Amino acid sequence: MFLTRSEYDRGVNTFSPEGRLFQVEYAIEAIKLGSTTIGVRTPEGVVLGVEKRVQSPLLEASSIEKIMEIDRHLGCAMSGLTADARTMIDHARVTAQNHAFTYDERIKVESVTQAVCDLALRFGESVHDEDALMSRPFGVALLIAGIDENGPQLFHTDPSGTFVRYDAKAIGSGSEAAQSELQDKWHKQMSLQEAQILTLRVLKQVMEEKLDHHNVQLAQVTPDKGFEIINEVRLKEIIDLM
Amino acid sequence: MDHFPTNWGRPRNDAFDPYATYPLHQRATAKDTFAEGVQHTQQPIVTGTSVIGIMFKDGVMLAADNLASYGSLARFKDIQRLHPVGSSTVLGASGDMSDFQALQAILDDLTTDEFTYQDGHDLGPAEVHEYLSRVMYARRSKMDPLWNSLLVGGFRDGKRFLGYVDLLGTTYSAPSIATGYGAYIAIPLLRAAVDGKEDTLTEDAARALLHECMRVLFYRDARSLDKYQLATVTADGVRISDQIPIETEWRFAEGIRGYGAQTQ
Amino acid sequence: MPDGSFAHSQQRSFNPYTDNGGTILAIAGADFTVIAGDTRQSEGYSIQTRYAPKVFRLTDRAVLAVNGFAADGNMFVKKVKQRLEWYRHAHAKDMPLRAIARLIQTMLYAQRFFPYYVYNILGGIEEDGTGAVYSFDPVGSYEREACRAAGAAQSLVQPFLDNQIYFKNQTAAPGQSHPTHLPLPDVLAIVIDSFTSATERHIEVGDGLEIYVVVAKGRSPQGLDTMRGVQEMSARPDGDRMFVIRRDLKKD
Repeated sequence: MFLTRSEYDRGVNTFSPEGRLFQVEYAIEAIKLGSTTIGVRTPEGVVLGVEKRVQSPLLEASSIEKIMEIDRHLGCAMSGLTADARTMIDHARVTAQNHAFTYDERIKVESVTQAVCDLALRFGESVHDEDALMSRPFGVALLIAGIDENGPQLFHTDPSGTFVRYDAKAIGSGSEAAQSELQDKWHKQMSLQEAQILTLRVLKQVMEEKLDHHNVQLAQVTPDKGFEIINEVRLKEIIDLM
Repeated sequence: MDHFPTNWGRPRNDAFDPYATYPLHQRATAKDTFAEGVQHTQQPIVTGTSVIGIMFKDGVMLAADNLASYGSLARFKDIQRLHPVGSSTVLGASGDMSDFQALQAILDDLTTDEFTYQDGHDLGPAEVHEYLSRVMYARRSKMDPLWNSLLVGGFRDGKRFLGYVDLLGTTYSAPSIATGYGAYIAIPLLRAAVDGKEDTLTEDAARALLHECMRVLFYRDARSLDKYQLATVTADGVRISDQIPIETEWRFAEGIRGYGAQTQ
Repeated sequence: MPDGSFAHSQQRSFNPYTDNGGTILAIAGADFTVIAGDTRQSEGYSIQTRYAPKVFRLTDRAVLAVNGFAADGNMFVKKVKQRLEWYRHAHAKDMPLRAIARLIQTMLYAQRFFPYYVYNILGGIEEDGTGAVYSFDPVGSYEREACRAAGAAQSLVQPFLDNQIYFKNQTAAPGQSHPTHLPLPDVLAIVIDSFTSATERHIEVGDGLEIYVVVAKGRSPQGLDTMRGVQEMSARPDGDRMFVIRRDLKKD
């Protein structure tokens, strides 16, 4: 029977006549509902920033976790269905540790990114004898920040498993405005502090609430200290510098 | 259905207490023949002795006698131990003859498969040697070896090839190679005549050399036969000769003192 | 038993290993490494072949020497090379020497209960441009060293190296100290002397000698490039350079 257009988004692995996979595109749409997340690369390191939507005064803001460590030299910020990111980050962590165990060296940023993206299209109906697959695409996008022999790098991954390297990238609900602001303000010789301030300023512009040290989180990857989430005291200092 | 639960799942042994006259707790448990697992071939049974091979000006030449021994019994005296593989390779085997025949079957299947692809490729001597080394090493790694020492000879694309593989998966190439007793008895003669002279040694000289080595081996190797075959591989392809008899001279034995059957 | 019976049930077990003789050796300089091995392969008292290489080029700056059971050695080298190629595809670069060393450990230890019966010596240039030698036991224990000999004539060669490279049992002239690294010509002389001596005293060593020399990028090959009978096999003239020297050893 001929399938009408709207039926092509039923099977997660069914191409439409125009050659599109609707479920994957919808998953990419889902990211745009997520909170704004920003990454900025500089020669001194990479900065990651996220908005934490504190929906209730009773909510413990510190329990919202949107930036995570993958390895000492690798960090990751997410937007979208953040629960999905657990699978991906678990995989990234295992990959990074296995690499360190087998090769006695830090894995490259691009290699972990590739490893994470390898998972992205493993959805659909599982066939007998195959590894259990996911029933749907991931609903989350990641900004993977890290430092290796090629210097500080920032990668963006989406639910289609595509990854691209950026100097500065915004994802999530405020991403359109944020991205054009980053395009205006980012420059090649930015210092790490400039990048922290830029990240916060851009977040501030797209956030509905007033930005403070409870509703944003900042992290960075630097050659000396590797990945670190910036604590509230320091975050407050940086906010004051804005 | 056995109505004694203690026997369930155990191999039947009707020879012992078939009528269950012993009380359950006194019944000796039947011995399971396979309790220690399947026994792999752990010794050769029907064996072939040395294979010798050399490179010469236009290709390579292998020789192996026609005997398959059962221990010290000269059991089969019309066995061919040289086997052509494709159009430019010949395989010679010493060691267990049943394992060799299994290998022949594997290689024949392989060449047939290769032929049916009709892709213009066929296996040359280097490929056959590599393949055999994989098979032999894989089997030794399973602790279930094919009990052979093999020579692979061939000529392809203007290049000679002579290689060795054995039951351990050990491999090497050389201008002259011999397996078994040949490694002790024939190799000194072969190296003196061949090594460094591969490019000038003629086919006739090579044939004469191998004939002489087969004769010496027949004199000294108790598990050898005075009948052998020659395989010659050149640009013209593989030729396996008819059986060649070895003429022997035993009169000198009369004069030998110090061992043997003489009484004084 | 003479009567044809057996006191114990007879079981002949299959021994999956043999020793194929030969010796390998590597010495690290400040900015170069020399990795060498003889080319004889033997079993028992038989020389199987006079030319079976034991030293293999892995990358532009890494060389592996393998000694022990030849079938395991060849299989191991094949698998290492395969892993290096996979790594190149996955990570878009050649595997660094230190990473190869760790990889070899994991590959050897993976076979802990049916080991590759091989002694490995890995030599080459480290990421920082220094010469390096890593030596391994059959199940993967490894360390970085300045020099190492392994194989049949290890017991003959290693004490010689201890004396000539580490200056063991030597006292420096008053007011002077021993050099930490020797120049390439001195190292080559030591390597060649090691093998000619081992050939004299050990029946499993001889026939041919293959010496690989890796020189760090931008460093002088110290006259090696103009030496007779030296084959250069560098991937690029402006990168790390690699040379092979082939010499005859006595065949008796």
